[in-house]
Amino acid sequence: MTQFILRRLVWMALTLWAVFTISFILMKSVPGGPYSSERALSPEIQKNFEARYGLDKPLIEQYFDQLTYAITFDLGMSTRLKDFTVNEVIAQGLPISATLGVIALSFALILGLTTGVLSALGRGTFTDVFFMSIATVGIAIPNFVIASITIILFVFLWQLFPAAGWGSASHLILPAFALGAPYAAYIARLTRTGMLEVLSQDYIRTARAKGLPTYQVVYRHALQGAILPVVSYLGPAIAGVLTGSVVIERIFSIPGLGSHFIDAALQRDYTLAMSLVLVYTTLLYTMNFLVDLSYTFLDPRVKIPS
Amino acid sequence: MAATLRLMFPWIALCGMLAAGVWAFSFQSLPPADFTFANSTEIESTDPAIVTGAPEGRVIYSIYEALLGFDPETLEASTEFGVAESWEVSDDLTVYTFKLRDEACWTNGETTAPIIAEDFAWSWMRMLHPETAAQYAYQLYYIKNASKFNTGQVEVGDPVEVELYDRPIPTQTFPRGTILHGECVSIETQENSEDAIYTIQTDEGEKRFIKNENPSEGVTAARNILFDFQHVGVKALNEKTLEITLNYPTPFFPKLMAFYPLSPVNRESIEKHGYPGFTKPENLVNNGPYRISFRRLRDRIRLVKNKHYWRRDKVELEIVDILAVENTQTSLNLYLTGELDWSPDVPVTMIPTLLERYQDLEYKAFNPQPFLGCYYYMLNTTHEALQKEKVRRALNLALNKEEIVSRITGAGEVAAYSYVPPGIAGYERAFCEQYNPEKAKELLAEAGYPNAQGFPVIEIMYNTHEAHRSIAETIQAQWKRTLGINVRLANQEWGSYLDTRRNLEYNVARAAWIGDYVDPNTFLDMFVTDGENNQTGWSNKQYDQYIEEATREKDAKKRMEILHQAEILLMKEMPIIPIYYYVDKNIVQPYVTGFYRNLQDVHPVQFLGIDKEKKARFTNSEIR
Repeated sequence: MTQFILRRLVWMALTLWAVFTISFILMKSVPGGPYSSERALSPEIQKNFEARYGLDKPLIEQYFDQLTYAITFDLGMSTRLKDFTVNEVIAQGLPISATLGVIALSFALILGLTTGVLSALGRGTFTDVFFMSIATVGIAIPNFVIASITIILFVFLWQLFPAAGWGSASHLILPAFALGAPYAAYIARLTRTGMLEVLSQDYIRTARAKGLPTYQVVYRHALQGAILPVVSYLGPAIAGVLTGSVVIERIFSIPGLGSHFIDAALQRDYTLAMSLVLVYTTLLYTMNFLVDLSYTFLDPRVKIPS
Repeated sequence: MAATLRLMFPWIALCGMLAAGVWAFSFQSLPPADFTFANSTEIESTDPAIVTGAPEGRVIYSIYEALLGFDPETLEASTEFGVAESWEVSDDLTVYTFKLRDEACWTNGETTAPIIAEDFAWSWMRMLHPETAAQYAYQLYYIKNASKFNTGQVEVGDPVEVELYDRPIPTQTFPRGTILHGECVSIETQENSEDAIYTIQTDEGEKRFIKNENPSEGVTAARNILFDFQHVGVKALNEKTLEITLNYPTPFFPKLMAFYPLSPVNRESIEKHGYPGFTKPENLVNNGPYRISFRRLRDRIRLVKNKHYWRRDKVELEIVDILAVENTQTSLNLYLTGELDWSPDVPVTMIPTLLERYQDLEYKAFNPQPFLGCYYYMLNTTHEALQKEKVRRALNLALNKEEIVSRITGAGEVAAYSYVPPGIAGYERAFCEQYNPEKAKELLAEAGYPNAQGFPVIEIMYNTHEAHRSIAETIQAQWKRTLGINVRLANQEWGSYLDTRRNLEYNVARAAWIGDYVDPNTFLDMFVTDGENNQTGWSNKQYDQYIEEATREKDAKKRMEILHQAEILLMKEMPIIPIYYYVDKNIVQPYVTGFYRNLQDVHPVQFLGIDKEKKARFTNSEIR
């Protein structure tokens, strides 16, 4: 077990290093810089500017400087949000994206699991067809379209929620819904498939034959097996919710990591963009890692080789 | 154990979600602001010296006050608003003496301190210091020797200041290390090093310095060797009198003194907290109408009225929220639901709908008016065909600009036949030729391309944007139709586009210019030979001379006449083709008072207000 965790951590370090190097090269090979403006600067002023932000050093030196910063978790000053360090930006943005993500995912799980179980139990009935059609549509529609539709419906037609912004619970509902909807749809389908497979197993028939009420059969016996695909989907889902919030955050003007990421890339905020790539990589890797670990608890058939 | 965990899992998950839900819903809502506006983007900084954009301007105008202020309607510089209560100018128009008002003060929110003339000298020294890397440093180049100090050029015979390697805080530029003053006696360049050795005559005799931390024997390490700031034309004559000496008479200088990057900053606070520490709301010491309550990145800056501001009685709004909304559709949604009082931009696709919507109403929330901005095409005059003046004129003659403004842009933009936009008092514009297909063909033939025979395929380059593409397509079609020439389109992402333009790797490129101040010079001086913003390869001795003469001319009327001559030349030789003048895209709630659609599209918050009675009437009405 310990060996497994250690091996994974070493791979994580290697992955982060590779991601760092590739994004550094990509970032520096794109023309333009943080000072790109329609107003061209005189060479002297440009020189002052590059000296201040260390952009006048040879590329290889910049690479090692930044790598050292990254390793020591001191990510330096943002080149665009000049009054802030990258750490400050992330400290402000991460909780916001995390809140949005958790709410979106909770919503996706509750809705997805419920409809999935109901569909499986009523296989072939109207309920099943109805839920699964909605789920199919939900998977097919990108989240920004869902966002636009919810804005038209719940902001303009029925004035229930604010159009955008951050700061109160009512600001959370629409973006969390738009963000979570495709995941809810996917979880519903996964749950249904898992349930159907489990429900046809012998031990379920035994449980039923013992005279257990349906809810007990479902909860004590079926759901545990059926939920495994959902759990393994949670890793990518959490990562997806966090990275997929980029567009949603823009539409609803939410000051999370996604907004920082888009703007950092567009405005050539080298330090911030690089750091966010690393943060996202760490998140993705950790989530997948945790899911793998959780298998040992959830599925007795899975054993981690030591 | 594992089995129990398995059974518990759904419950643990459920509890986790509930906890998250409760946590998320326990947010404290902010108390509402009196006035909220969208600011297009998150600002780069609240340090006046290092910012350049309009969104930054809106914030800086709110928290700092420059030497002069300006009238929000006419934009005329005025002592009614700024730190100075009066000014005098010498007969040759090169020495300005400003008297500071006693009431103007610095504040940290609790205590106050008077603003003294030395604050301006120090702030501008900081702005011009090479290590500050101010992009707008050139706004101070009109001041004598300011550019020398900023660019770090030192020549033999110059008075110099040497900063030793002993800064109290090594990572901060201010406070500076020990400064020695003297005269540069000689400069020796070295074979195997970029750093030269400067011999400087100081009070303690001749000494040798090098800009390097580890000097060789007999040489002293210097952090900086700069032109002596004591010889730059900014002098505090006493606590309340500031004297500024300019290189040339500069008629727009007072307007410049009202420009936000030139606002003073508090020396004590900067030397104590350093950069960026001094920009944090808790450390901020400022002199403007508002103070920053808090700043949440890419969300909002909340301003509260500065209770120590000398004009506080005239400032109406108590709490103001500045939202960093990037997406114009989002800001329009917020406006339409009444959460925004003003948005400086609307989505291009919504313009026709909005125009129609407010057409017949008494109050026009959306009412685009021209301001000082020109959308134009630049022609690469080093290109084999475009180097011929007749070809450039033919391209202009073949353009039906009215079609572009009526069918494509649609917000009431005005077709441009001069480069300098209309509206500058005292200036008569010079015009290029109007749409004339016959003459265009003739000129093209005269240039050696009858019926476009032998004319190379040219390419229009623009930065990726839907609106720029539509315009380029229309122009492509017009040139094909009228002249029979083949035109390709190429779009590039912003950074690449700027590089391509700068390196003259284009044929025809889309460009735009917004005036820095209300004067034709801000448009015309960029086309001097090798100007950074010329970028067309065009060079004309006569033109350079006009711009130079205008700079030195004392008589305002004559100066305008010279600039007019320069524009005549520019419009005759056509290194650029003006296409249209910009209009503002502000959308403002009917109950907002003090909002003027002016030439520079600037609207300092301190002049705005809300008509509460009217607001009550408009809420939930269909007017929005």
